[in-house]
Amino acid sequence: MAHDWQPDFEQLVDEHQSMVFSLAWRMTGDRGLAEEIAQDVFLELDRHLGKIESAAHACFWLRRVAMSRSADALRRRVVRGLDLWVEMEEHHGISVVERASPLGARLEQLLATLPESQRAVLVLRYQEDLTPEEIAATLQAPVATVKSNLQRGLKLLRVKAADHLKEYIRQKEYVRGV
Amino acid sequence: MEEFEQELRQAFERRPAPSSLKHRLMERRHARQPGNSVFHWQRLAAATLLTAALGGGVVLHQREEQREGEAARQQVLTALRITSHALNHMNTQLAAHGRAQR
Repeated sequence: MAHDWQPDFEQLVDEHQSMVFSLAWRMTGDRGLAEEIAQDVFLELDRHLGKIESAAHACFWLRRVAMSRSADALRRRVVRGLDLWVEMEEHHGISVVERASPLGARLEQLLATLPESQRAVLVLRYQEDLTPEEIAATLQAPVATVKSNLQRGLKLLRVKAADHLKEYIRQKEYVRGV
Repeated sequence: MEEFEQELRQAFERRPAPSSLKHRLMERRHARQPGNSVFHWQRLAAATLLTAALGGGVVLHQREEQREGEAARQQVLTALRITSHALNHMNTQLAAHGRAQR
């Protein structure tokens, strides 16, 4: 079927750079690497622009390639979990704790400690608000696998967050007591 | 779980991309386009110079070989002339010596 949609590369960058960058950052936990991945993803889009049929297709394509390139990057480097986020704050002067709730701030850090497959589905579910079927299409994985990873990831993150909250409350009470 | 999921949605909001991202991306895109890159022209000029230098070298080498070949031919001809002259001289002396003995 012929399509009338005329892609505008700059407009696509403006619209989706935040999405691509955030996906790469949350998957790798490295801001510099995420920026590099985002650039590579858009350059790849530029090469494939003729095959993109609609705005929705562009968005789907960018999500899929961003996740794939982030996974490639992760395989190439050693992921050091929580330390990565500490390093990120030190090197880039970005505070991940600048959030309304202490749990929200910690959740991003805890996400980096989850296995890659669980992290991927959680990011797509809660950052991009995708359904399990859409996540399966993006990651080219069976829906059952996505649902399983979603449940396991959510459970693990909840346990880790609960531990953190207990520690946080203990510290607060200690500070008040002092 | 609902509340926790809501917390996750808030925590995992998209982060704004660095302002440098688009700028660097456009620079890379521009550099990749054929004919737009200074680097592309530099490479072309370097390749042309290298080809010219190599071609010139080959021509010079061939001329040098020709010159050396010609010089060697002249030397051989000179040597042959000298030998021929010496033999003629020797022949004349032997003939004169034979006549004197008779």
